[in-house]
Amino acid sequence: MIEARELTKRYGHKAAVSGLDFRVEPGRVTGFLGPNGAGKSTTMRMILGLDLPSSGSVTVNGRRYQGMVWPLYEIGALLDARAVHPGRSAYNHLHSLAAANGIPRSRVDVVLEQVGLTAVARKRVGGFSLGMSQRLGIAGALLGDPGILLFDEPVNGLDPDGILWIRTLMRSLAAEGRTVLVSSHLMSEMALTADHLLVIGEGRLLADMSLDELIARDATDRVEVRAVDHHRLAGELRTLGGEVTLEPDGTLLVVGVDSATIGELAAAQGHVLHQLRDVTSSLEEAYFRLTEDSVVYRAPVPA
Amino acid sequence: MNAHTVQTVPAERRYGLRARLRATARSEWVKLWSVRSAPAVLEATAVVIVVGALVLSSGYRSGWASLSASERAAFDPTYTSLRGIELAQLFVGALGVLAVTSEYGTGLIRATLAATPQRTQVLVVKGLVLGAVVWVVSTASSFGAFALGQRLFTGPMPHAALGDPGVLRAVLGGGLYLTLIVLFGTALGALSRSTPLGLAALFGVLLVLPLMVNLLPGSLADRILPYLPGEAGAQVWHVMPPSPRSLGPWQGFALFALYVVVSAGAVLRLTRRRDV
Amino acid sequence: MPIGTTDTPMPAAQAQRPPVTPLSRGRAVLASEWIKLRSLRSLWTTALAGFGFSVGLSFLVCSSFQSRWHTLGAQAQAHFHPIDISLGFLQITSLFFGALGALVVTTEYGTGEIRGTFVATPQRPLVLAAKALLLGLLGFGLALVTVSAAFLLGQSRLSGAVPHASLADPRAAGAVLGGALYLTLTALLGLFLGVLVRSTAIAISALFGVFTVLPVLVNNLPKGLVWRHTVPYLPSNLGFSLWHSHIEFLVRPMPAGSTLALYVIVTAGAGLALLRTRDG
Repeated sequence: MIEARELTKRYGHKAAVSGLDFRVEPGRVTGFLGPNGAGKSTTMRMILGLDLPSSGSVTVNGRRYQGMVWPLYEIGALLDARAVHPGRSAYNHLHSLAAANGIPRSRVDVVLEQVGLTAVARKRVGGFSLGMSQRLGIAGALLGDPGILLFDEPVNGLDPDGILWIRTLMRSLAAEGRTVLVSSHLMSEMALTADHLLVIGEGRLLADMSLDELIARDATDRVEVRAVDHHRLAGELRTLGGEVTLEPDGTLLVVGVDSATIGELAAAQGHVLHQLRDVTSSLEEAYFRLTEDSVVYRAPVPA
Repeated sequence: MNAHTVQTVPAERRYGLRARLRATARSEWVKLWSVRSAPAVLEATAVVIVVGALVLSSGYRSGWASLSASERAAFDPTYTSLRGIELAQLFVGALGVLAVTSEYGTGLIRATLAATPQRTQVLVVKGLVLGAVVWVVSTASSFGAFALGQRLFTGPMPHAALGDPGVLRAVLGGGLYLTLIVLFGTALGALSRSTPLGLAALFGVLLVLPLMVNLLPGSLADRILPYLPGEAGAQVWHVMPPSPRSLGPWQGFALFALYVVVSAGAVLRLTRRRDV
Repeated sequence: MPIGTTDTPMPAAQAQRPPVTPLSRGRAVLASEWIKLRSLRSLWTTALAGFGFSVGLSFLVCSSFQSRWHTLGAQAQAHFHPIDISLGFLQITSLFFGALGALVVTTEYGTGEIRGTFVATPQRPLVLAAKALLLGLLGFGLALVTVSAAFLLGQSRLSGAVPHASLADPRAAGAVLGGALYLTLTALLGLFLGVLVRSTAIAISALFGVFTVLPVLVNNLPKGLVWRHTVPYLPSNLGFSLWHSHIEFLVRPMPAGSTLALYVIVTAGAGLALLRTRDG
C-alpha cells in the first residue's frame, strides 16, 4: 500500500504538487490521471525517494522509501524506459539491478521471458525500439516479484499489441492481489484499465474514487433526437419540462425527458423521427467537468 | 468548398540567397541565446580574461624582486596581462564544440536540417554567428584585461601602452585568437558529433600536444613547437616572440587559420554526404 | 499466487530475501556496481587509450633522447634524469584517469540510469562508496600496469652512454608507485567531480583546466610568498611531487600524497552532501 499525507513539492515559489492525501490500495489497478505537467511524475518520484517532499510525507507499506533496505522486493517501478545506458545489454542492465537487491540471477531470465525479450537479452539497449525499451523497463519493475508496482505512462509509444499486452499484465497483477499504480494522460486507456482513479490537476487532488463513481457523479444523461420537424418537437419537449439544445445539424439534445417519453410524444404528435438515442457520460466528459472548476471532489473514505 | 488553402511561401521570399541566409542567421542567433549555457559561458570568458590579468599581473608585481636579470628582460607586460586567454580558450572552445554536438545529442539537428536543408549553409552560418559573438566579447575583454594589467605594473616594472609597437596588434590579437578557437571547436564538434570526443580532440590538440612535445629533447621540441596550432595561433597576442624560432605574429596566426580552414573543409565535405 | 488478507500479498521471491545486515547490503551494492562498471564500454576504451598513449609517449620520448644524445649540450646531459624522462607522460595520463573516474557517474546521469540505481538502492552514500571503492581498486590496478609498462618500455630504449634506470632501483620503484598513486587519486577526484557537476562535458573541461591550463599559467610566475603557498598545492604539482625527482619549489612526496588524498576526501564530502539533499 502507498499512502500520501499532505504531500507537497515546491520548486522555488511554484508548487508542483500541493497537499496530496491518498491511499493506493492492493488488489486493484489505480489510475493516476491528469494532464501533462499536473504533477504525476513528481509524485511518483517522491514515492520512490528520488525527489524529496518539501513537506508532508509518502510511505510505501508504512515506511519511507529511503528507509527500505531491499526495496525491489516490495515495490517495482517503470519510470523512463529510455533511462538505460545504450551500450549495455538488456541482460546486464537487469543483472545489475537484481544484484543491488540480492535478487537471485535466475529472476533475470524469468522476467526477460515474461516480457518476451529473451531473444535480444544480450543485445545493446541502444538498438531497442521504444516498445522494447518499455518491456525492458517493465522487466526491471518485476525483478523482485514485488507486491507494489508503479508504471509511469507505460503505453507511451507502444503499438496496439503492446498496449493490449500491458493492459492485460496490469489487470492480472492486480488480480493477484498486488497494488498497481499507473499514471497516464490517456483517458480512453484509463477507462479500460483502471478500477480506481486518482485525478490531479495543477498539483492538487481533484478526485479519489472508483471509475464508475467518477463517471456517474454529476453525470447528466441526455437523449439525442433527430426529427423532420425539429422546431415543433423542441417546443413540445420544453412544455414537458425538458431542457433542449438545438445542434447546428438539427439534432436535439434533450435533458430531463427520457427516451421512452419522447418516443410516446412523437407517436402521439405524428412526428417522423430519424434517430432516438440515449447518451451516457464518458470518463472524458467526467474528467473535463472535474478539471473545469478545479474543485476537490472526494469520495467518502471507506471505513 | 474546402476551407483549407495550402500555405505558400510569399513570392518575394521564395528565391534569393540573401533571404535564405538571413533566415538561417536569425535561426542560429535565436538558438545561441535561448539556452542558458551560451550567455553563461560568454560571461565566464569575459570574467576569466579580466581576472586572469588581475591574478597574473599581481603575481609578477609581488614577485618582481625575486626575478633574475634575464627573467626581467624576457618579461612581456602585454602578453602577461592577456594570459587569461589561455583559460578562456577552454570556455570558448567548449562553446564551439557544444554548439554542434548538443544539437546532435538532443536530436535537434534533424529539425534544424529539415528547416534548412542546405547543410553547408547551416554550419557556415553557425560558425559566423558564434565567431562574431565571441569576437565582440573577447576583444572587449582583452582591452579590459590589458588596461587592468598595465595599471598593476608600477615602479621599476616595465609597462606597455597601446601606442607602443605591436601592442595594439597583440590586444586585438587576443580577440582574433579566441574567435578562431571557437571556429576550431565548431569544426571538431561537427567532425566528431560527440561532446566528449569533440572536447577531447580540441583540448588534446590545443593543450596536450605542446605538453607532449615539451617532453622531447630540447632541440627537437623547439623545432616542432612553433607549428602546433595553439602555439602558432598564440603568436598574434605576444609582443615579444616566446622563442627565437617562433613564426612571428601574422605568419603564426595564418598557420592556425589554415588548420581551422582545413578542418572546416573536411567537415563540410563530410556533412554533405553523411546521414544525420 | 494466493491473495493474502494483509494489505500487501507475500510475493514468491520474498522468501529468499537476503538478511538485513550492513555487510550483505554493502556486498549487494558492490556486486551491482561491478556489473555496471564491467559493462561500461567507454570506461574500458578510456583506460585502453590511456595505456596506449602512456606507453607510446614513453617510447617516443626515450627513443628520441637515445638517438639525439650526442646533440644535447653538456648541461642538458648533466640534467638528464632517466626516471623523470620516462615518466613524463604522467602529466597527461592524469587526464585519462580523471575522465575515467568522471565517466563512471556522468554517464549514469546523462542517460538517466541513476534514477534506477537510486530506486534499487535508496542508500545513496552506499552507492557512491561502492563506486569509489571499485574505481579505487580498478584504477590502481590499471595505473600500476600502465605506469610500469611505460617505464619499462621507455628504459628499454635507453642504453650505452645514456643513463638508464631499472625497477630494482628503489627510487625508480618509488616513482612508479607514486605515479600509480597519483593516477588513482586523480580518478577518484574525477569521480567525485562528476557527482558534483553531473555532466561529462563540464567534468572533462574542468579536468583539462585544472591539469593542463592552470599549471602552464602559474608555474612560471615569480616564486614570491603567495606563489609558495598556493602553486605547489595544485593537484598537478602535488602529483609532480609524487613521481619527479626535481621538486625544489614543491611539496615533499609524503605530504603531497596526503594533501591530494585530502582533496579527494573534501570533494567526496561535498558530493555526498549534495547527493543526500538533491533530487535524483
